[in-house]
Amino acid sequence: MHLTHQLELFPDHRVTQVLFKDVKNAAELRQSAVAGKINAALIKPAMVVNSFQVLVAANKAVHLQKTGKMKTRSLYSEIIFSLSPTNNISEAFKRFGIADGDDSVLLVLVHSEDESQLLADIKSMVNGQQVPVEDVSSLTDQEKIKKFYKVTPQEEKCGTLLDAVVCRMAIKDVL
Amino acid sequence: METKENKSSSEFLCGVELLKQGAEARLYRCHFLGRPSIVKERFHKRYRHPALDDKLSHRRTLQEVRSILRCRRAGILVPVVYFVDYSSNCIFLEEIVDSCTVREHIASSLCSNRELEQLVEQIGQILAKMHDEDVIHGDLTTSNMLLRPGQDDVVSQLFVIDFGLSYISSLPEDKGVDLYVLEKAFLSTHPTTEDLFEKLLKSYVAASSKSLPVIRKLDEVRLRGRKRSMVG
Ligand SMILES: Nc1ncnc2c1ncn2[C@@H]1O[C@H](COP(=O)(O)O)[C@@H](O)[C@H]1O
Repeated sequence: MHLTHQLELFPDHRVTQVLFKDVKNAAELRQSAVAGKINAALIKPAMVVNSFQVLVAANKAVHLQKTGKMKTRSLYSEIIFSLSPTNNISEAFKRFGIADGDDSVLLVLVHSEDESQLLADIKSMVNGQQVPVEDVSSLTDQEKIKKFYKVTPQEEKCGTLLDAVVCRMAIKDVL
Repeated sequence: METKENKSSSEFLCGVELLKQGAEARLYRCHFLGRPSIVKERFHKRYRHPALDDKLSHRRTLQEVRSILRCRRAGILVPVVYFVDYSSNCIFLEEIVDSCTVREHIASSLCSNRELEQLVEQIGQILAKMHDEDVIHGDLTTSNMLLRPGQDDVVSQLFVIDFGLSYISSLPEDKGVDLYVLEKAFLSTHPTTEDLFEKLLKSYVAASSKSLPVIRKLDEVRLRGRKRSMVG
């Protein structure tokens, strides 16, 4: 149900994504994350087109961490920031991080070894139903994404929404 | 100085397939984040001063990704950028799978005259759109266009690649030169295709809202080119 991908550029880093629906304790989870008690990025599934988008963000965040160029305080906040098409940090958290009233959450973990213990920890914290990560697409708010990433109608005709989103994430620092 | 940060991309590239060694950049094929990808690595040129070299490589990398996004926004097919490593000037791009270059396609003589005409008309329209967005490609050739044939009722897709020498300009002169570069390349790679290139220009003119001064400049540049070759 979860998805783990080893980063090609950083072979000792794996990225694991876990998706929950019917979440009852989003506020508590968010507070734990702010307090640094959860080793994961807590992302709003509505702002995710598919898991590749999250991999692009995680790869960029690890790269910036290694090169000492992160714009935020931790790897997990950097992942959330990397999802955003703008360079406004607080806006990125507001849009892409979970909010207290949310009923679904995508957790993103970066780790080196086997993820089973980490997964068990996460599952014990989230009061909700785990579903396959691929289901994130059914939670995507396409209209919101189009608006926030400023996807043009011409662009929609020539490529997928995922293409448009990923391209902006990759390039936002130099616009 | 070899910094720590340069290593992850270069170490990774040691283990993947080298597609092409160019004068300024190497092109690799690999899987990146699970997807078929092309990596363009701008390397150091030993004869250039290191600081200048860094600056130039960096600027070209920036120009390349900016032009790509500008084209995509305008609805022009170009490879998606997945990741940019500015510390080693590597760009990770979508691989346009199942494609061949327009050069190969024309040379293969697998297509009828009608198809060729349609193809150059498509090229003219795309270049018009690109120039109307003020993107100057800088190295237009039929090798820098990839064709993904359509199946059944899907039209074939034409991608523009390699924006390494591109820049943004609204000057008709720059657009005229861009077309002139293509004309030279086109006529030298595909003999006896003057008519075909004229068709391309015609569709460019029909599709662009600002083509008049561009074609005038093209004519000027052609004349200059001819004079130069007469002088020898
Ligand atoms: N994004 C891409 N997808 C597929 N093939 C590519 C891509 N970029 C370059 N190539 C191939 O590599 C060759 C050299 O590319 P270039 O140096 O960019 O002109 C091209 O002629 C293509 O066959």
